[in-house]
Amino acid sequence: MIASFNAIEVLLALFLTGSALVCLFDRHLVRACCFFVAFAIAMSLAWWQLGAPWLAAVELVLGVGLTGPCFFYALGHVSPDTSAPLKHDKFSEHRSRVAMRVLLAMAWFVMVGAAIRYVIADMVYSPSEHPLLLSGVVIAATALAAFALHRHLLRRLLAFNLLGSAVFMLLAGVAGTSASAQALISVGLLVAWLGSLLGALLIRQLLRLEGVEALGRDGEPKEKAT
Amino acid sequence: MTWRFGLFDSTFAPLVTTHWALVAALVLPLLLGLLAALFPPKRAWPVVLASVPILGSGWLLLSAFGEAGLLRWQWEIAGVLLSLRLNGLSVLLLLTTQGIGVAAALYTPGHLRLTDPAPLARWLWPLMGIVISALSLIWLATDLLTLYAALELMGLAAVGMLMLSGKVPALVAGMRYLLLALVGSLTYLLGVALILGHWGRLDLQGLAEVIEPGPVAWFAAAMIGAGLALKAALFPLHAWLTPVHENAWTPVSALHAALVIKASLFMLLQLWSILLPDTFYAPRIIAWLGLLAIVWGGLLAWRTDSLKTLVASSTVAQLGYLMVAFPLLLGPDIAPLPRALAWEGFWLQLIGHAFAKAAMFMAAGNLILATGEHTLKGLAGTSRRLPLSLLVFGIASITLMGLPPSSGFTAKWLLLEAMIITQQWWAVAALLIGTLLTAAYVFRMFRYSFDETAPRHRHQPLMPGMDFIALVLALTAFGLGLLAHFPLGLMHGGGP
Repeated sequence: MIASFNAIEVLLALFLTGSALVCLFDRHLVRACCFFVAFAIAMSLAWWQLGAPWLAAVELVLGVGLTGPCFFYALGHVSPDTSAPLKHDKFSEHRSRVAMRVLLAMAWFVMVGAAIRYVIADMVYSPSEHPLLLSGVVIAATALAAFALHRHLLRRLLAFNLLGSAVFMLLAGVAGTSASAQALISVGLLVAWLGSLLGALLIRQLLRLEGVEALGRDGEPKEKAT
Repeated sequence: MTWRFGLFDSTFAPLVTTHWALVAALVLPLLLGLLAALFPPKRAWPVVLASVPILGSGWLLLSAFGEAGLLRWQWEIAGVLLSLRLNGLSVLLLLTTQGIGVAAALYTPGHLRLTDPAPLARWLWPLMGIVISALSLIWLATDLLTLYAALELMGLAAVGMLMLSGKVPALVAGMRYLLLALVGSLTYLLGVALILGHWGRLDLQGLAEVIEPGPVAWFAAAMIGAGLALKAALFPLHAWLTPVHENAWTPVSALHAALVIKASLFMLLQLWSILLPDTFYAPRIIAWLGLLAIVWGGLLAWRTDSLKTLVASSTVAQLGYLMVAFPLLLGPDIAPLPRALAWEGFWLQLIGHAFAKAAMFMAAGNLILATGEHTLKGLAGTSRRLPLSLLVFGIASITLMGLPPSSGFTAKWLLLEAMIITQQWWAVAALLIGTLLTAAYVFRMFRYSFDETAPRHRHQPLMPGMDFIALVLALTAFGLGLLAHFPLGLMHGGGP
């Protein structure tokens, strides 16, 4: 089975997974954002590999060209003003609550994964033949865990974007790259960009009003109920 | 069940004027919003002028439906099939949207003038336009792609509107709402992916014919349900709603609580009626959660000290009434009569609540603006100084409590009749508990406002018309109970 893997696809899948992990868990925020851009470029290549050139172009324009700069803007590297640019974030959370949230997120994910695996036996690109799909599953799992783990708003925005990319990958795996699927994914990418733009504007405004500590706190931990 | 949503072929093709009315209804709010961003209206009369063509398009669509019955539009763009339909229900919801949208827009200039707004205030207009356009599209669209695009457009614009006030709590609450809404939309998208992968199409009419119950339909329904329930603030996923409303501008809150969350609920019911026809457990679970929502939302509203939290928590409870009706609409072995009654009650409750909640938010906003106090205790003495605002609040609460002859009464009467015929006694109990709790929190608010011993504070005078707009909305909600034959006739029009 391994022998049937396409070498380029294996490399792409490995690179996608690696850059996603760095992007999600590196404490140095600028580096994490750089790896997000690298991830988006790799996604674009992956769409090309899966036979969806239009989607590759959309990903290149929206993911690399428009969503990436949003994060650098949120960090304060595009238009520096009074507040200093962000560099690092810190975790300040009880271990037990972190563990509980991660467990909940993973449980939800295992449920969804099992559903997709057993419900749809006839996936267009099955994960056992396409390592890209396998990497999509792994990225979705880690991104969901990171979304539940982090309190830092920029971190959660990054985690959402990676989760989105992984979900689009799964969508392409389940439904193929037909015109309808490509249209759905393009709309999804547009939404992800607009959401990131709105989030970046919000983070910037919060920084201006409250300073860095405003980004860490985020009300009650109700979020993983999704 | 699917024929009630107008998912069947039409007899007549739409006329040329109907095409233009459709384009106007979908595009004009957006364009006029952009125009208002360039030239922000300082008074109400430009808004009146702008709302004439929008309301006119709604009226044209209503008369087109009256003449020709169900109408459909279909386009195929680059291999993707997009389709719209206009049935009685969508006309009704479209008119509701336009009415409340125009009222919120008319209220805005006065509100902005009194609150000394942030420089961002001019962006409220295009965002409001996007929300109204996207809502109109959601009532009309019948394919999953258009529904997804419209839902996301509406959600993002709503987040933008809610945090325009620029205060830190508003920004933090808005960011939470944004992240939750985005993750909810990804969950929805996974459900759509399952449908597209298994049945290979996205148009609802085609799907209604080919979908058969099975694990794929159940999982897709679960994912779509989870995503939409989060966006609609259905009970266990409602926690984001109150903080968001606490700090938003009044017209924005009115539009959001009245319509935006209802759009997700509309989609949920429409998609579940295709994916889960005649299932037992899923609608039951929603109904039990609805029972909890009625109790929990009522208790929250009863115990709170803040006026806006009271109004926002009451939304959670009122959504519970709609959730309790789910087994009647989707469950198996429901006779045609109770199902028709529940269908009428459901939509009448939704529309009545939309008008009443918009009026209530405006009345609460007027009281807060005039007294400068956000708490219930700050309302002491308002019965003498601000009788009109309190009157509006009272008329809106009559609808929420369901006292005759308001639309809330008629809707609950229809729902109760359906529940008694099908012998769902616990649902009857839920409706009665909800009415008692609503009365409890409304009268608690009135007890504070009728406190005659309070010292006289200086009250800020309101702009002319701010109370009047709220009064018109409250009276509409009230009068829909007396004139219920108009909406009920529309809901049943277009059946085969």
